[in-house]
This record gives sequence, structure tokens and C-alpha cells, in this order.
Amino acid sequence: MPQINICNSVGRDAVVNMESVSTPLRVRWLDSKNRQARNIRVLKSTIQHDAEALAEKAGEMRSVGQTLVDGDPEINLEMVGYLLSGTSRVFVDKQKKLVHRIQQFEVIKNPDGSTRERRPREITPQNVTTDIPLQWTEKFIKKADVVRKFVIANKMQLMHINGLTYDFLFGMAKDLEEKQSMMLLGGGVKANEPLILRRGNSPFRGFLEGRTQGEKYCLILHLSNLELRSPEKQKPEDDLEDAANGSKDKA
Amino acid sequence: MARTRSIEFEFAGTPITFNMIKVDRNKLYGYKILDVLDENDDPCELTTLADDGKTLIGKGGTGIGYLDADGNWSDKSQLKPVDLEGKPIEPVLSSFSAPIELATEISIEDYLDHNIRLIYQLEIDETSHPLIDKLKSGSIFLFDYSFRGGLEADAGIMLINDEDEIFFLVGDKTSVSFKGLQQSAPVATEEDEATGDDAGLMDFGMI
Repeated sequence: MPQINICNSVGRDAVVNMESVSTPLRVRWLDSKNRQARNIRVLKSTIQHDAEALAEKAGEMRSVGQTLVDGDPEINLEMVGYLLSGTSRVFVDKQKKLVHRIQQFEVIKNPDGSTRERRPREITPQNVTTDIPLQWTEKFIKKADVVRKFVIANKMQLMHINGLTYDFLFGMAKDLEEKQSMMLLGGGVKANEPLILRRGNSPFRGFLEGRTQGEKYCLILHLSNLELRSPEKQKPEDDLEDAANGSKDKA
Repeated sequence: MARTRSIEFEFAGTPITFNMIKVDRNKLYGYKILDVLDENDDPCELTTLADDGKTLIGKGGTGIGYLDADGNWSDKSQLKPVDLEGKPIEPVLSSFSAPIELATEISIEDYLDHNIRLIYQLEIDETSHPLIDKLKSGSIFLFDYSFRGGLEADAGIMLINDEDEIFFLVGDKTSVSFKGLQQSAPVATEEDEATGDDAGLMDFGMI
């Protein structure tokens, strides 16, 4: 389970768990005896039997049709239907041979598809469970403003791991609920960097929301990387934080 | 140029038709692609390696099948879709086949319980309509939405932004829930369990 190192309003920090709250499976399939069926992944064709390989063997794609009429070159009789489970993603070269040493470059494209920059790939480390805890930024934004300014693409729920962290998180949720606001969360020393939950993942702006119900609490980290605006009025990505700061309310 | 499509709603017995304009993040901010080269600077291609460690599978080389409880191959047409409680699922029609009734208003918290994955801006020439007035007052509407129709509908949400532009969002409800003191997440790791075994070797006679 992923973790987060976070400070409360008086600067105390703790490492707590984060739980994904994405929608679980909603449809199940039953067989004729009303028993649960399960889906499996099977092999249909290997790389030596796909269209590209057949075209290479036949000399050109136009001749592949005749080879299919004459025989079954697209079927690997030993492998077709093989149940796949622990597969890996690997790179192959033009000759379809495994490549062990690769060079990775990021090509940054403009909205119109033109290339802005090409640079060696940088894999950004995560910044939510580092030695520097995420700060209580005091940048509060009313919930009604957040929903009308940002699109929440994902969220994680913060969970206590013991009695002490229960009190810690309950207090944070209560603080935020009383303010009827969310708090902008950022990474780094200045708490102004976007949040990266896992190494190499996309950066997001984080908004912390708290709710309580009797002795129970709900502390949610909402993640956004898009403003709720018409395409013509969108700001550059770097200005997302400014947009959040611009509407901050020191509640 | 953005593609547009019309969608019809019904609010308080009055129909209203909007043009939908998809808001695509890549077309707003740009995007990144990964260029992978081998040692000779020749391009590489991402493929799948089967668990036997030698079989390479290209694009479209895998498929999904279904097995019944006995492990026998099942044709999907012979299987029955049910929800998590075992109740049969009634397929839904495409949201473009009839006007969508806007009857359910939700709170901000209910809206925040959803993850949003598609965004459309809704455009209309009319400036005066009971629905527009209601949205300007801060209302958020929830409805079932399905592009093509199918087994289940997505959550459709309509709201207005702070510049009075109307948006239609498509997403999924999440499983956010309140947590009490007793509902702490399991934190025992394999290492902890190992030390637990060691602790079991100690007996009271040693104290």
C-alpha cells in the first residue's frame, strides 16, 4: 500500500497509508449454473507469425493472402491458446530480437503535434514519501471554487496505521471540514512542486479534503492536472498552481 | 478542429439541446512520447514476453477468453452479466437515443466522490433557460450516461464553471468511505511476520 509523509496544522509529521478508491469491478459473469466465470488472457499469435513477419517471409504484404490460402502460416500450433499470466514488457529491435541495453528519449510535442524538444528521459522520483514531509500549506480553497475551477481526475484516501495516526488524521479532517475548504498540497521544501505519487508517474496538483462523521473521518487527496475551462481559455500547464493560488482563501 | 456532436437533455419538462466539444488535455497542453533506441541508435519496439521467457507477442497477439467454474472454455454469449450482488444487469441504451432527464441534483461532496475521465464543453445559443439559471445558482446534476449503450452506464455530471461555461463530465463513482479507529489498514509486512515467528520461540519460563 502506498504511503504519504504529511504535516498537520501545527507542523507535526507522520507517515500514513494511502488507499486507492478507484471503482472496483462492477460486472460479474455467471455460467449456465449461476457460478462465477473468470476471464483469462490467451495467446493468439506470436511475433514470428504476425502480419509483419508473414509479409517479410512472402516478400510483400500483397502476397500474404495467397500464403494464407495455401496453408496456415499465421498459426503457431504449439503456442496458440496458451494461457498468459506473468507476462513482461520488453523491447525488440528491427529483427524482432530482444534488446537489453536501450536509450530512452522524451519527445515533447506541442498541442498541434509539432516537436518542441527531444531530451534524454528523466524518470522523476516520487515526492510524497520522502524525508521532507508534505507541508500544511495554509492555501485553502473553498470546495465550491475547486469544483468550478479544476477537474479531479483521481484521488487517494489517507488511512491511519495506528491509534496515534488516527488522532492525527482525524484532527486534519476536522480542521478542513470546519473551514469548508480544501488545502492545496505540493511537494518539495517550498511545497510548490506538483505531486508525483509513484516514480516516473504523471505530476498532479493535490487538494486535501476532510470530512468527519461522529468518530469517523474521511481524508481525501484529490488529484488534478486540468483546469475546468474552455479550450481557448486554458492557461499553460505551469500556471495551474497560480490558478490555485489565485483563488486561495485564508479561511 | 474539434469534433462536435449534439446531446439532448430534458429539465423540468423542457427540452434543451447542446453541442458537445471534447476537451482533450493533449490538445491543450501538448504531450510526451517516448523514443527508445538500441545501442546502434536504431528504433526499438515494445512487445510482450510470455512467462516461458522466450515467446514474444506483438500487438494484437493476445485475446480475452472466459472459463467457467470448472475451468472449461465458455463462449461469452452463454454467460450472464450480473452486478456485485448477483442481480441481473439491464443493458442501457445510448444516451443519444433519447433526451436525458436531469432530475438528480447532487452535493459538492457527492460530486467530489467521482473520478473524472472525459470532459466536454456544452455550447448553446440560448441564454435563457430554466436549466441554465439553475446551473448558475450552483446546482450540479448527476445522470446515467453511455455513449454507445451497453451493460452499464457511466456517471454523467453537468455543472457550470466560474466563467458561466457549461461542462459535461464523464466519470466513475469511487469507494470513498468514512474510517473509524478500528478500521486501520493492515501494516504487517513479511518481515514483521518473520519476526513474529521468532517471538513465538520465547516462552514464559525465560522471564
